[in-house]
Amino acid sequence: MTQKIVFRRLQDIPPIAVSTATIAWNKTGTWRYLKPKYVIKTPPCNEACPAGNDIEGFMVLSREGRLREAWEKIKEENPFPGVCGRVCFHPCESSCNRKEFDEALSIQALERYIADSQFNAEREGHQRKPRRKEKVAVIGSGPSGLTCAYHLARMGYGVTVFESFSSPGGVLRIGIPEYRLPRAVLDHEISDIESWGVEIKTNTQIGKDMVFEDLKNYQAIFIATGAHQSRRLNIKGDHLEGVFSGLEFLRRIHTGERVSLGERVVVIGGGNVAVDASRSAWRLGARRVQMVCLESREEMPAFPDEISETEKEGIEILPSAMPLRFTGDGGRVKRIDFIGAKLGEPKPDGSLNPIPIPGTEFFLDADFVITAVGEVPDLSYIPQEVSVHKGLIQVDEMGLSHIKGYFAGGDATSPYHTVVGAIGAGKKAALAIHEYLQGGWSREKFRMIQVGEKGTISLNKYFHPLEGDANPPVVSFGEINTDYFEHRPRISIPQLSIDQRRDGFKEVHLGLEKEIALEEAGRCFNCGVCNGCDNCWVYCPDFAVKRERDRYEIDYDYCKGCGICFEECPRSAILLEEEGR
Amino acid sequence: MKTVIEGSHAVSYGVMLSRVQVISAYPITPQTHIVEKLSEFCASGELQAKFLKVESEHSAMASCIGASTVGARVFTATSSQGLALMHELLHWASGARLPIVMVNVNRALAPPWNIWCDQTDSLSQRDTGWLQFYCESNQEVLDTVIQAFKISEKVLLPCMVMLDAFYLSHTFEPVDIPDQERVDRFLPRYELKLKLDPKDPKSFGGLASPDVFPEMRYQMHQSMERAKSIIPEVDDEYQRIFGRGYGLIEAYRCDDAEMVLITSGTVSSTGREVVDQYRDGGKAIGLLKIRSFRPFPSEEVRRNLRGIPKVAVIDRNLSCGMGGIFAEGLKSVLCNEEDRPTVFSYVIGLGGRDITQETISDVIEYTLEQDRPKEDILWADIKR
Repeated sequence: MTQKIVFRRLQDIPPIAVSTATIAWNKTGTWRYLKPKYVIKTPPCNEACPAGNDIEGFMVLSREGRLREAWEKIKEENPFPGVCGRVCFHPCESSCNRKEFDEALSIQALERYIADSQFNAEREGHQRKPRRKEKVAVIGSGPSGLTCAYHLARMGYGVTVFESFSSPGGVLRIGIPEYRLPRAVLDHEISDIESWGVEIKTNTQIGKDMVFEDLKNYQAIFIATGAHQSRRLNIKGDHLEGVFSGLEFLRRIHTGERVSLGERVVVIGGGNVAVDASRSAWRLGARRVQMVCLESREEMPAFPDEISETEKEGIEILPSAMPLRFTGDGGRVKRIDFIGAKLGEPKPDGSLNPIPIPGTEFFLDADFVITAVGEVPDLSYIPQEVSVHKGLIQVDEMGLSHIKGYFAGGDATSPYHTVVGAIGAGKKAALAIHEYLQGGWSREKFRMIQVGEKGTISLNKYFHPLEGDANPPVVSFGEINTDYFEHRPRISIPQLSIDQRRDGFKEVHLGLEKEIALEEAGRCFNCGVCNGCDNCWVYCPDFAVKRERDRYEIDYDYCKGCGICFEECPRSAILLEEEGR
Repeated sequence: MKTVIEGSHAVSYGVMLSRVQVISAYPITPQTHIVEKLSEFCASGELQAKFLKVESEHSAMASCIGASTVGARVFTATSSQGLALMHELLHWASGARLPIVMVNVNRALAPPWNIWCDQTDSLSQRDTGWLQFYCESNQEVLDTVIQAFKISEKVLLPCMVMLDAFYLSHTFEPVDIPDQERVDRFLPRYELKLKLDPKDPKSFGGLASPDVFPEMRYQMHQSMERAKSIIPEVDDEYQRIFGRGYGLIEAYRCDDAEMVLITSGTVSSTGREVVDQYRDGGKAIGLLKIRSFRPFPSEEVRRNLRGIPKVAVIDRNLSCGMGGIFAEGLKSVLCNEEDRPTVFSYVIGLGGRDITQETISDVIEYTLEQDRPKEDILWADIKR
């Protein structure tokens, strides 16, 4: 090939412009200076999910009706698809690229659909015995504690969960009302966690029934005791009979205690606990329920969906007002005085800073008052060495505390009280504990299992490392070739009518029909992940894309680097990079 | 037995008899009848060829180049703007030494739109390395198409066969359509030695450095020179089989002529009539028809005009800023002759204006009257 041909005489020169030797060695791929490459990129939903669900992955499976596999895919990362499918605030949907096109995919409803489809399916009897000698103690059986226990058990550790309450679930059981999360769903998912060999000791409060000294035989301890202490209003009359904290009220109704509400209920607070309390009071038969909060309607910290459901149920929301005092009659609360207020700059400790507006005083009559103005952890029981800052246990991004062997997560470590955040923290801690016990943790490992840049990690990546870029870039809407998608509205999720809701605590949101669910899964763009649509194979002008079942390969011997496959990939699962010379 | 057919169909029959394997074309007036008939031949199975309908003349020539590179005998036809659109590929076809045969119906280039006869379209492609034949009758058209394949395949250069728009393309004349068997004998299947073969892949049309490029162009020109002897050889063979021949040029009553008309295409027939009238009247006028414009038959022209005092070149074409293109070529091959005629260059009949016997008489009278032309270009039929 490198031999130089010299023509000395006219008769040596070929009559036409043709090579003197074969060019079989020189495939036409040598023209290329850009090289297409199949890549798996990060879908924005996956990056946004604090629990690290492979959302794109389970959309592909559910679209094909492979619901068991979809369920198992979720369960690789998250033991609570039935719970998250109901109570999650679904940041995945807020970052769905499809929202720029028509409407975000209804991811939460599909997650619930997948979980519900497996509710009556035959369970594999895991009943695993621990494979490893190390044992881990988990304090608290809320979403964070149980998630940590679940993943550790799957990794082969013996795990014991200590729960002060008489049944497991933490905030899922005693906080979130049944109309959002039926207890049968919760029980089902907890029993599945137990089937992996997790031992749950209820009625066992650390600091009361046991002390930390008693946990010496455990090589690691995960503290996930949540935030179950209500902030007090500290105004005149707040000890009157008929004034309850939101958590206390919810705990009582969820443990079957009868609470006598009277006719008029006033709830003070604008967060999710206040909303749960209001809607529960309405279901318990209160004639009139009023919510009063410091924030304006737009500033209310409760999830927007929940606020709009609250209003639909006829609960009045009175924003931008602060309570001044409770007045009683015979020791029982009767009236509350308020003044209009607006929020100033937050106080140095981060708490709200209401500024009263003179002359805007008003009062409400009340038979029952619920105060839900923030929940904080009770950390009075934890060992002194564990560092606490602003009322939260201090941990790093993986849940490691300052003390060897002590890990923490969930609401005890974070001011953002979300179920999915707690699940994510439990998962990270499980991995951190595993690495700690095996003695090999490094920042590099964390980088390898990250999903995007928002702190989400993937256990699937941990156990099955990807080839190539460990944390490929997140696909933006601009990278989607929308020519290949039709506008189709998002499904509407069926709900109980307002009349039907009044009658007890029946679940408000109803499940999806199979056909509708599968069709909705089909709206997924599959951002950055090849789903075998054949576009590259069809469009390649050089037949350089080879198809083997559901995989494609580029025959670089003939690929000219024209980039048509890259342009025509609907979901940006092909990269075009400069050819190395 | 003769059949009365139009010139376009004379082309089609010539192509069919040549057992062309690939036809690729795009319609354009006044060429369309040629490929229409060919498509009918393909559809009926009379002609076993692949007929490609393409989106432009550029594609037509490109696909002819591809088909010819793998060794197929290929044909296309066009006219005017269509030929102009092919220009870049005309160079490719000749540089790649592909024996493609194309018929061009001579038509004026727009604007203004004009669909009538004018040779400027094909003469604009003078330097593309194609052989060019200008035909006078439907019979000559048919015979020349068949000859063109044989010549092209011998010299490995493409060949363009011209006929005048409407005067031939749409005019019916009695034509002898030869039988296939004799044509097959004259024009056997051909095997291209260097062809694109996937079993033995080679690079075609690759880069040639200054080290070899001049030699390759020299070889191309040598092939054109060789064509000057191959054209008469092929023509002689054709004459032996079919009884008709045309030569590179045709000299008509040129002996001892006082002056000679130089013509091409259908004007030659009109010219011959006028020459006969002058001869009958005692005036020694002759006519030289140039059939092969590329290669230009320099030697034959010089030999036949030796001793002739004056020539009148009739150009139905115009190279703006210079003049008639045949005249230009003629002058250039005569300029070094010691005993050379005075050349009168007439540009007439552009855009399909009829060149009548009267027009030609005017040309002869003026030429005989003047010692030398008063102007470089003589616009004999212009309204003043």
